[in-house]
Amino acid sequence: MVSLRLPVVRLLAPLPLSAILAEAGRETRVAAAEWGALMAAAQAGHGGAYRRLLVEIRPWLLRYYARRLPPGCVDDAVQEAMIAVHTKRATFDPARPFGPWLAAIARYKWIDRLRAMKRTAADALPDDIAIGDHETAVTSASVLTALLATLKGPQATAIRLVKLDGLSIEEAAAATGQSPSLVKVNIHRGLARLTATLAALPETGSDPVSDHG
Amino acid sequence: MADNGDALIDSLAAGLTPVRHRTALRDEMAFAALAVVEVAVYLALRGMRPDMPVAMGHMAFWWKAVSLLVLAVIAVATTIAALDPARSPRRGLRSLAAAAAVAVAVGWGVDAARGGSAGLIARLDWRDGLDCIAFVIGCALPALGALALLMRRGASTDPRGAATAAGAAAAAWGGVVFTLDCPHDDPFYIAVWFAAAIAIVMVIARLVLPRLTRW
Repeated sequence: MVSLRLPVVRLLAPLPLSAILAEAGRETRVAAAEWGALMAAAQAGHGGAYRRLLVEIRPWLLRYYARRLPPGCVDDAVQEAMIAVHTKRATFDPARPFGPWLAAIARYKWIDRLRAMKRTAADALPDDIAIGDHETAVTSASVLTALLATLKGPQATAIRLVKLDGLSIEEAAAATGQSPSLVKVNIHRGLARLTATLAALPETGSDPVSDHG
Repeated sequence: MADNGDALIDSLAAGLTPVRHRTALRDEMAFAALAVVEVAVYLALRGMRPDMPVAMGHMAFWWKAVSLLVLAVIAVATTIAALDPARSPRRGLRSLAAAAAVAVAVGWGVDAARGGSAGLIARLDWRDGLDCIAFVIGCALPALGALALLMRRGASTDPRGAATAAGAAAAAWGGVVFTLDCPHDDPFYIAVWFAAAIAIVMVIARLVLPRLTRW
């Protein structure tokens, strides 16, 4: 099992675990119906509503492209999609749902980006290229994986889908076959258990995660 | 990265201006208005075929006019619907292909088969046929320009499909306009030369419009 290093525990321990996990998937999720209302207000020239809409769809776009593009392309793709949303905002019909409209634009820009990547010749990387140290990120990911392994399967799955992968409660319920209420209960109980696990860690003690594994 | 995103959001929100959301009905009305103007201009410049009262008594004339009009209506509706990013033109294109097949079948039933296969080449009338292609393409250009403008304002996520539909719409409408002037009503002649003109405009639209309407 993965070893839980003390510095990482100290890094995580000062924050409630729910906050740590919420940070990992901190994007705000708003019902698409509300986004539709915000876009309708934006079409009427309401700058505040428009700013809020852009702020709220940005995490969704980040998740969308993070699953489909190399990391170096994600931010550019998100910005292109947001510019497309801006320039084509007149094509949104407030009488129709916002989600499919946004998803269609995101998909179009994704395909556009894939075509651009195909046209761009890729240079072979030299063998001696220097790369950044990913130890912290890898260690944190390992720690989270190890912590989640201490939970019951449905709890770990619910936390991973909703708090880490950014799915909504409804999407997670559909993915797991659990009811939305059960997903919420599993998240709540799982987070409580993880908090208790971290709180029980001695300052210089052994690794409960590796002990568990 | 977050700073870039925030700066972009600030920039977009600051540059926000009110827009009127597009509706398919408004686009269709705009296209219909242009179509009426085109017919008026065409009649003013070239006039109607001299034997129009006689032609209107023939089934073949109505087959030609109605078939082209139905194809134009389906293709225009498909093109304009496809300007919504969440809608695909593929279903409309399939309907268009089915309507074209039905039109050809009905035309065959009207009187394309008359005289057997021996006189088919003579019925094609090459010189007039090439003129018809040129006229149909010429009459299609205003409609193609209008649809290109609508495509630039819209946000088709299938630009090739939308462009194909736009080409079919413009060419079919060009055929409707030229029907007022074209002296040929033979379904075999129409099926060959008008179909060739429509195919040429569709290919041009498919090649050109996606580049012009890229977003």
